[in-house]
Amino acid sequence: MTQYSLALFGADADTLLQQKSIILSGYVSDAENGERLAGVTVIETNLRTGVSTDAYGFYSLNLPSGKWDIQLSSIGYKTVNHSGLSTRNTIHDFTLERSETQLGEVIIEAKRTDENVRAPAMGMVKLDVKTIKTIPSLLGEIDVVRVLQLLPGVQSTSEGSTGFSVRGGGSDQNLILLDDASVYNSGHMLGFFSIFNNDAVKNVTLYKGDIPAAYGGRLSSLLDVEMKEGNPGKIGVAGSIGTISSKLTIDGPIIRDRTTFLIGARRTYADIFLPLAKEEDLRDNKLYFWDLNLKLSHVLNDKNRLYLTGYSGMDVFKNDYSIVGFGNTTGTLRWNHIISGSLFMNLSMVYSRYNYDLGTPEDGTGSFSFLWASYISDYQPRLDFTHLLTDKHKLRYGISLNYHKFFPGEINGIGSSTGRSYFRLPSSNALESGIYVSDEFKVAGNLTLKYGLRFSMFQNIGPGTSYKYDSEYIPVDSISFPSGEIFNTYTAFEPRFAFTYLLNELSSIKGSYSHTVQFITLAQNSSSGTPLNIWFPASPNVEPQLCDQFSIGYFRNILNDMYEISGEVYYKNFRRVIDFRDHAELFLNQYLEGELRTGNGNSYGIETLIRKNEGFFTGWLSYTYARSFRIVPEINNGKRYPSIYDKPHSVNLVTTFALTRRIAASATWTYATGLPLTLPTGRAVLGNSIIPVYTDRNSYRMDDYHRLDLSFTLKGKEKAGKKWHSDLNLSIYNVYNRHNAWAINIVPDETNPYVTYAEKTYLFAVIPALTWNIRF
Amino acid sequence: MINKVKKILPILLAVSVLLSCTERIDLPLDESSVRLVVEGSVTTNPGVQTIYLTETTDYYYNQKPPVVTGADVTITDGQNLFILSETSPGIYQTSSDFTSKEGFTYTLNIKLIKPIGGFSEFNASSVLKPLISLDSAATTFFEDFGEQGLWEVNCWFQDQQTTDFYRFDIYRNSHLVTHKLEKWLVTDDKFFNGDYVNGGTISYLEQSSDNEKLVRGDMLIVEMSSISREFYNYIQDAQAELRGSNPLFSGPGANVRGNISNGAIGFFAAYPVSRVMIIVP
Repeated sequence: MTQYSLALFGADADTLLQQKSIILSGYVSDAENGERLAGVTVIETNLRTGVSTDAYGFYSLNLPSGKWDIQLSSIGYKTVNHSGLSTRNTIHDFTLERSETQLGEVIIEAKRTDENVRAPAMGMVKLDVKTIKTIPSLLGEIDVVRVLQLLPGVQSTSEGSTGFSVRGGGSDQNLILLDDASVYNSGHMLGFFSIFNNDAVKNVTLYKGDIPAAYGGRLSSLLDVEMKEGNPGKIGVAGSIGTISSKLTIDGPIIRDRTTFLIGARRTYADIFLPLAKEEDLRDNKLYFWDLNLKLSHVLNDKNRLYLTGYSGMDVFKNDYSIVGFGNTTGTLRWNHIISGSLFMNLSMVYSRYNYDLGTPEDGTGSFSFLWASYISDYQPRLDFTHLLTDKHKLRYGISLNYHKFFPGEINGIGSSTGRSYFRLPSSNALESGIYVSDEFKVAGNLTLKYGLRFSMFQNIGPGTSYKYDSEYIPVDSISFPSGEIFNTYTAFEPRFAFTYLLNELSSIKGSYSHTVQFITLAQNSSSGTPLNIWFPASPNVEPQLCDQFSIGYFRNILNDMYEISGEVYYKNFRRVIDFRDHAELFLNQYLEGELRTGNGNSYGIETLIRKNEGFFTGWLSYTYARSFRIVPEINNGKRYPSIYDKPHSVNLVTTFALTRRIAASATWTYATGLPLTLPTGRAVLGNSIIPVYTDRNSYRMDDYHRLDLSFTLKGKEKAGKKWHSDLNLSIYNVYNRHNAWAINIVPDETNPYVTYAEKTYLFAVIPALTWNIRF
Repeated sequence: MINKVKKILPILLAVSVLLSCTERIDLPLDESSVRLVVEGSVTTNPGVQTIYLTETTDYYYNQKPPVVTGADVTITDGQNLFILSETSPGIYQTSSDFTSKEGFTYTLNIKLIKPIGGFSEFNASSVLKPLISLDSAATTFFEDFGEQGLWEVNCWFQDQQTTDFYRFDIYRNSHLVTHKLEKWLVTDDKFFNGDYVNGGTISYLEQSSDNEKLVRGDMLIVEMSSISREFYNYIQDAQAELRGSNPLFSGPGANVRGNISNGAIGFFAAYPVSRVMIIVP
């Protein structure tokens, strides 16, 4: 611990180190658009020691005082060599020029070719958004989350949805951050699109296993989405016109080389197809969403930078009787400060809100009219440090305080007839805090350890109401707490540990253990869910959920780093995992806690991947075997049952061919075992209706899921001096028109009510879409 | 009331309906062992009270369920024992002079000739709650809603301070409009606990439906029953099953909670009934 407390006084540590060595540090950015580049390898060529730039493009190297020769390299960029002489700590920024990239190249990690083997990270994938544009899409909207779902260990929760399950965890067990702000509902429409506009996103990192100690609050994964910054050199415009959506992003300098902006807007017009609907009722409905992304960055001086990120989006569904609106709003103000060459600080103020409204249109008449409103919001200051203690220890430590406000719902105008014009579910507040320290320790040339500890605390703060339930979960009493009173506290230690051991230049073994805690849960018992999200906090009645995950993997590059192969095995043990009683009533229920049943669960699996990153043909093939189970004493008679995320086998094939300099073709094929399903084993006739009788939960399965998607991209002719670039993309979703089940129901025959037949509902037949992308 | 909110949720479904198609599939299902199915009630409506006994079948049985005949069926209120006679196969009835009283616990006892699911004796009890009177009812026509407009049915009554559950039934010219379990109208009192319900909406009658169509001058009877939490739960569960499943709202299918012992399915309910009669304006 003494080492850590010393570290907290960065300046002193710096002075100590200075006597032996100097620190060379600075930012690395793209020469064309000024974007900071993460994951660039910076190596001192004489000493053969190196580091990678962090998420802000910042690097810091510990070097002996004197002459240095460094080399910077990154896939897709020309390598830069630079020499210098320093006797004191030195700040040196670099820019990298893009190498001629082939159209259709799919890079899912911007990194050194052998980083797969070397990087002290496992269960982590990073998508460079620029390079996924040739992958087939649904309705022409390329979606980063949809690409993530093609990776092993990541499953879509239902047909067409961007909701995802990571290694058998729930879709609410993913911490989804947009520049550090929590995104509580990452889907537009019914999850068919994610809220991330890929023109405004720089890169996306998913941590499936070894979640960094800097983050907590979710059991299964961290999806870190970083928004693009504006180009400090010149104004740029990118846009696209698609079958159901169009978008435009403009970025550039406000003050050259100091202040930049990026503003992106997207609007869908899915409702233009509504007049074609079979059902007349649907034809004059409104159905659209929009997104707005904003990012400002400002260089105060070479040690201080400010960033402001804003996102706002809204979905609207409207018909004659009702209107539904929902969306996220987030804001992040961040100050990057270089305290010294070895100590980097980040102070952020984060705001996030998800809300939805449901009601009758304004002209709704008389007793029909009502409005239901609900939201969840976060106010979060956080302070993070990255500290290069020596060339062997890279420390990260920090603190965050997240104040949550839950406003589960209020209905106005529920019935002028009852003398009461509104109904309100009790709102609640909670403070979720975390303090963490982690160290990346290069023990030897072939062994790196990463270990950390996070201490989390969750406090329910008044005003609030807590109900007491009897053994039948019937509310019998309630206690109200005054404003400001902390009436319940949970604390947890979350250790994280990982190692990377290089067997030789081409292969490594990596392992990790993580303990995670989740304090807030989404009340959802269906597979795809609705936008009417009900997030509820841990409370005197609801204990936090816990997860322990162990994983180990083997990584190897073959054929001169042309192919990489990997295999990972994981085991997750969930404790106090929350499920819902049979026929749970989740909407507008102030006694929601009485609908919860807690138990244990586990999931385990093997993930294998072979990937080719360069050349005429790129892509990957993965096979995953994964299981996920729950045991909840009061569900399924206490017998173990597969969770709705249990899909034993899945195969993903992603291929892209650069056919000519102008034409790329891409194909993806995905296969997964059908979703588990609860189906009757008998029936009773009650109240002149057929009531199913069940034996076991989730003991049947839908038919296996598989689908082929294709896309063709034609790049506009390049001429010398041509200012603008364009390409045309044709995407075909579900090429062989597989009717993948979305729901299965058994319905009574219209003429004879005693006759029933099974019916499958599927969503997407073959869907072609054309998108024209332009940028200048 | 809550019905209104529930009516509106399907707008979200409309979006998926827009994209979706359905097709019949062949879906083989396993079979489970046969269980007894019991349905019946004791109400304050004077006269014959009926208990129906049937059996569960394979899901694709595709005909009326087999009835259970020859059983000894009795109901007791703790003081008197009423013996039910089998008036037609599987239908067991009290005599027509049967009367029930508020506050009494009614217990149903069934003895079978040959066991079902390993048991030959089954019981269920239900407390007949105090009557809550329905003061009045009214209907209003809304032309712009639904294909051929709809009639809103409203009612007036004083809710109690306790947690109460209600079931409403509607008769049009002595035809039971709420003739199937999925049409039964039930609500709890969370939106109006302790209030005077001043014209609360209990139903919308779709004029495009033959079953629900009203004509001016029709006689409408509205019945209100004060039911137990358990009976309310049973109806809620059954209606959830009847709505079918979709990945937006529905959890996994599950058995309906009942109150019959020894693994039998169904419900035996005792409840008071208050009724008003109105003429459609």
